[in-house]
Amino acid sequence: MNWRRFIFQTPLGITESFGAAIHALSASQLTDGVINRSKRMMLDTLGVGLLGTRTAVFNKALKYSQLLTSEHRSSIWGRSEISLPPYYAAFVNGIAVHSMDFDDTWHPATHPSGAVLPALLALVETLPSRPSGLDLLLAFNVGIEVQGRLMRFSREAYNIPERFHPPSVVGVMGSAAASAKLLGLSPSQCSHALAIAASSAGAPLANAATQTKPLHIGNAARRGLEAALLAQMGLEGNPAILDMDSGLGVYYNDYSPSAMPVCASGDFRWILEDQDVAFKRIPAHLAMHWLVDAALEARAELQETAWTFDLSQIQRVTLRVPPSKYINCPLPTTEHQARHSFQFNACSALLDNKVTVASFDQARINRPALKELLSKVEMETPADNQPSFDKMYCEVQIETAQGQSCTARCNTFYGHWRKPLSQEDLVEKFSANASSVLCTEGVEGVIDVVENIEKVTEGSVLGSYLRMTSNTHEQMYLTRIL
Amino acid sequence: MLSVLQKTIRPVQVARGVHQSAVQVLKQPGPEDTVTGSFGRFISEIQPQHLSPVVFQRSKRMVLDSIGVSLIGSTTDVFELALQHCQTHSMDFDDTWHPATHPSGAVLPAVLALSDMMPASCKPSGLDFLLAFNVGIEIQGRLMRFSNEARNIPKRFHPPTVVGPMGSAAASARILSLNPSQCSHALAIAASLAGAPMANAATQCKPLHIGNASRLGLEAALLASRGLEASHLVLDAVAGVAGFNAFYEDYVPQPLDSPHDGHAFLLEEQDMGFKRFPAHLGMHWVADAAASVHKLLVGVGPGKVFTDQVQDILLRVPLSKYINRPFPESEHEARHSFQFNACSALLDGEVTVQSFTPAAMSRPELHALLSRVRLEHPHDNPANFNLMYGEVQVTLVGGDILRGRCDTFYGHWRNPLTIESLRKKFRSNAEVVLPSEKVERLVEVVDKLDRLGDCKDLLSQLQ
Repeated sequence: MNWRRFIFQTPLGITESFGAAIHALSASQLTDGVINRSKRMMLDTLGVGLLGTRTAVFNKALKYSQLLTSEHRSSIWGRSEISLPPYYAAFVNGIAVHSMDFDDTWHPATHPSGAVLPALLALVETLPSRPSGLDLLLAFNVGIEVQGRLMRFSREAYNIPERFHPPSVVGVMGSAAASAKLLGLSPSQCSHALAIAASSAGAPLANAATQTKPLHIGNAARRGLEAALLAQMGLEGNPAILDMDSGLGVYYNDYSPSAMPVCASGDFRWILEDQDVAFKRIPAHLAMHWLVDAALEARAELQETAWTFDLSQIQRVTLRVPPSKYINCPLPTTEHQARHSFQFNACSALLDNKVTVASFDQARINRPALKELLSKVEMETPADNQPSFDKMYCEVQIETAQGQSCTARCNTFYGHWRKPLSQEDLVEKFSANASSVLCTEGVEGVIDVVENIEKVTEGSVLGSYLRMTSNTHEQMYLTRIL
Repeated sequence: MLSVLQKTIRPVQVARGVHQSAVQVLKQPGPEDTVTGSFGRFISEIQPQHLSPVVFQRSKRMVLDSIGVSLIGSTTDVFELALQHCQTHSMDFDDTWHPATHPSGAVLPAVLALSDMMPASCKPSGLDFLLAFNVGIEIQGRLMRFSNEARNIPKRFHPPTVVGPMGSAAASARILSLNPSQCSHALAIAASLAGAPMANAATQCKPLHIGNASRLGLEAALLASRGLEASHLVLDAVAGVAGFNAFYEDYVPQPLDSPHDGHAFLLEEQDMGFKRFPAHLGMHWVADAAASVHKLLVGVGPGKVFTDQVQDILLRVPLSKYINRPFPESEHEARHSFQFNACSALLDGEVTVQSFTPAAMSRPELHALLSRVRLEHPHDNPANFNLMYGEVQVTLVGGDILRGRCDTFYGHWRNPLTIESLRKKFRSNAEVVLPSEKVERLVEVVDKLDRLGDCKDLLSQLQ
């Protein structure tokens, strides 16, 4: 007799419902809308990941991971010669995805895809059952859906975070769910995968804007994968992990969980259907996108109205932004700080008339002209500017020594879920990123596979394209001093 | 005294913090000014001569006990599942400190693993090993003192998952001889790996909390050694951006003084508790109280307690949901059940490793007693390992009432195990997996650890 239910009447329902849903959701429940959106997410994630394999943080993590050996090997994106055990492949590839803060962002705020895709791709290459592209797509969506559901358990999750970095809380849960799905675990094992993953959740926000931030996504991916593998081996955690305040509730100040609908057949309403993600055009914190768009507009206006305009005439730049300590950095010294600095992104936009991948090179960060402009920046946090990616805006006001003033405001940047990137622009972003590492065959192969993923018989084919480096690129990179 | 010095430093830190947020100062605080930096410096610069004799003695006891519980823990199911480094906590048999955590299990496996990894020609000496171990313990103790919440039985995060990775990172950084800045970064990287919810305590997952603490702290140090950087303010309290304080409701960090003028290790003033049987520390009080009632019940003869003599069992214990389990269903739950441990001790006169076997757990006479237990939570019995007590009151069918009370169980830091008792526990654990010559050699080697030129003597006995 189950004494626990009898004596305590603990509501096991919610965690169990998640386990049941993860187990039971089927490909037939994937809608066109969801398929379309999730494919865009996969493509974007792979592109930023490939680009990210050229970063210092990725290389440090890779060197570390090579200490480990195992007979199971999975691909490292952008490396033809190296493979790692799936746990570490998920780790380093996840780091690559988030290394430049270039990956997708959702509402409530997290970076959902980076925590899930690297784990699935690592797993898909080692499973004897050889999952299909459709299996991969379904598992991916399960991982995204679980994250979306969990974030809706708390009001706190709707605002820009202050305590725990959201991908470290829900990301590992999503990765566990997705991996459990791909592994074909039973409902009970799926619940336990979530419970085990919860013990790996939660990294403090203080490490955002540092070189360690990308590890939050890398860790989420690998530890979710690990949780699912441990659950498969029979490890058990608390079967009410989502129900309890002392379970997932520890990461939130307000916590009100609810069950997932059981859905063996029939329609399933995916959150991704109702709430799209944002894709970034700039490798920086999402809030920077509003600011850059506003800064570019104000600059353009000034250039039009003042016949002889040059930047030295700028006397003051006022930024009107939502309040958030960790993206308020007046004088960043590292690329990681620069990606989390309203001030830096505004000034880069004004100086160069664009903000790109190259804007965050150390040389660009150190420019005297930039530092001079930075010293003219003032920040305001108007009361009506809420720290929420759904509601915030950014305003830039430039005042010149000649007494001119131009102000521009951005409510919704291009790439935000309210104004999504066109498919063309998304593919262009991917190509630009991927070509930095892969040869043309690899770039086009990935685009093709993702576009048609539901028809692909072997999901592992994606891994083989991700290894098709352009030899020149790999050699050049290896000789470059980090 | 060091505490006075810290008190005079603290107001300056607070004032500086206010100043920084009020005026956007362009210059960032240097490592000399931060709590985080002070920890990095300490880890890097502390020397063996700072270890006092008491600290030597106490920490060697901890090393011995931890190895023993690990060896017996390697026979468990969960160890089979997890394979790496989790055996120390698999049976909840490892040491406990105040404020509450299991400090050694998070540190020892990491230091052993790193020592193993080092080439034969430059393995650490026994003294280096012991120093690194103590750095790992000390850091955990210091961090727990940043918060009042840490003093009570935990409700949110399982303490070994919060301070354990930090201790392991510190010890690992030390044995790798990282510089102060790298040591700080190791702590910061580890902070992103810290924190697991209490809900997984009393499940098969709990032992992984210690395993993870150990390996993730080690990993953090290895990553720091390769140049990975993280927040240099992770231990400091920065408004609007949580660092290590994400894990606590109240948090007042204190810098560690540079050890150049000597350092008083916390282990000197606050000893460790060692368990006599593999269960949550709180169980030891009720077990000792129940054992004394058992003696009364059986009298002087060889006794068997007849359960139909017992009408009612009342336990007066602190209020703590996760160790209140009337009918535990797994060994993990049984190790976290006031009721189970009290009834086992009432029946058998003691609780042992064997008490948690499926056969022992399913005894009908045990279930008969369990169904007669009720709990009370007196106001004077706080959920705090330094202040709590356990009382067992048995009402017999005839109306007689027998009482037992335990304020300090044998093995608690106020009533420490003798070296004979500690060795006895070690032998009985280690002999389950190692031949007795190795067991004896281990006892010798740990005893002489600080005089060992090369720690490979220790490592070879464990394989």
